Amino acid sequence: METLVNTRAEINPRQVAPMQGDTSAQNSETPSLSIVLEDRKVARANPPKASAEKLNFWYGTNQALKNINLVIPEHQVSALIGPSGCGKSTFLRCFNRMHDLQADTKYEGAITLRPDNVNLVGPETDPIEVRMRIGMVFQKPNPFPKSVFENVAYGLRLRGISNRTELAERVEKALRAAAIWDEVKDRLNDSALALSGGQMQRVCISRALATEPEILLFDEPTSALDPIATAKIEELITELRQRVTVLIVTHNMQQAARVSDFTAFMYLGELVEVDATSKIFTNPSKKATEDYITGRYG
Amino acid sequence: MQVADPHDGHTSKSVDQTLHELRMHAVEMGGLVIDQVSSAVKALLERDARLADVVLSREPLVNEYESRLDGDSLTFMALHQPVANDLRTARAIARSGVELERVGDESKKIARFAAKAGAGSPHDPVVSVARHLRHMGTLSTAMLRNAVRALDEADPALAREVLDRDKELDEEFATALRQVMSFVMEDAQFLRATIDTVFALKGLERIGDHAKNISEQVLYMVEGERPTKAKKGDGG
Repeated sequence: METLVNTRAEINPRQVAPMQGDTSAQNSETPSLSIVLEDRKVARANPPKASAEKLNFWYGTNQALKNINLVIPEHQVSALIGPSGCGKSTFLRCFNRMHDLQADTKYEGAITLRPDNVNLVGPETDPIEVRMRIGMVFQKPNPFPKSVFENVAYGLRLRGISNRTELAERVEKALRAAAIWDEVKDRLNDSALALSGGQMQRVCISRALATEPEILLFDEPTSALDPIATAKIEELITELRQRVTVLIVTHNMQQAARVSDFTAFMYLGELVEVDATSKIFTNPSKKATEDYITGRYG
Repeated sequence: MQVADPHDGHTSKSVDQTLHELRMHAVEMGGLVIDQVSSAVKALLERDARLADVVLSREPLVNEYESRLDGDSLTFMALHQPVANDLRTARAIARSGVELERVGDESKKIARFAAKAGAGSPHDPVVSVARHLRHMGTLSTAMLRNAVRALDEADPALAREVLDRDKELDEEFATALRQVMSFVMEDAQFLRATIDTVFALKGLERIGDHAKNISEQVLYMVEGERPTKAKKGDGG
């Protein structure tokens, strides 16, 4: 199975071609203009933020993930696609140890979080600590039955922040980051449940962002939203990569194509192919991927 | 890794249907355009003004094919949002339509020249390069036919054959050009006709380039990689 970094090296070794101003690479062969132009079209993998290594996962006796090796590059959007039951949501949930809430589940292998190399699925790692660092946004907007302000402040209060000024500042920052501040700044004390679906989802994203997580997980974040709300969330995801590493599971392949830098295709619990999104959607290497994304598949 | 029991066609039959229609449309257009080229060359060689008029009268039809192909492929992309090989196929067909339309333009120019060339004389420049014109006409239509067939059958080997034959056409053009030059040096009275003859030869050489472009589209459609010069000589 490939990893993002390996695939990148395999598919296009010229991606490391020196760019203008990069003096460190001047000694190597100077690329022709056409090579540089070609390289710019393909997403480059940043250094890894997390990497799954030989990850296996079982629900009871049913093995849902089989030997997954995948690198999640920092400050980029990685999308997981695949048919229902392929294990993409299971994989996503490993990152914040959501499976711990369920009896009779078993992890094997590792998900290493950089820079401190914590194994997120290691038995020695405290799941609460993991969830502090990895935020998650779900399919259906699930705000708490509290005010908009309290929803976003919730995680901060849990972390012991009680200073009103600091809370207000951080709530505003999170709401701005989720591109919803202008819409709710006069309704901060209204119930979050009174907002529209798209607004609720963005409040949930603010809530996840408030604690400044390192990775934000999205599990089908727009499947319950209308097209305009979807477009706003997608735009937001694109912007969010500047502050956080994003991993998104989506059934909507066009969404994966629109928002992600890298796309991984999973099938029957295995990782079939991972590559730059532009490559996956124009010329995937594996027939299984092509069959799935073009809809030639039962 | 194998996907268990993949279906042969799309889950959505309308995607298969639309792609099939687009391809059929391009093949029909290809047939018409190939006939335009061979008729234009025949009209010129045989001084057949009536045949030249037929070519000219069919030119709007070629343009109509192209604009329909362009519109239909755009609609297909907007409605079905194809990716991977479907996307490459739709694009290859639309681009081939543009190439075929340009071939149509070249035949029109040759037909115009044929329509006004009149009865000709033994010293006519057309007569002096008739052999080359005939050969280039045969070669360029053969290349076009193979390019269109390669598009229809998604056959990369056939597409590569077209790329390889382009050199032959270029060489024939260079030879014909030398012939015309020595002709005009000997007798400058047919200067206008000589220029038109050069344009006709150049038109046929360009038709070879368009066939080559279609073949390159086919290779990208089938293989997902843009053909490089190094790949030119590869078989299948």
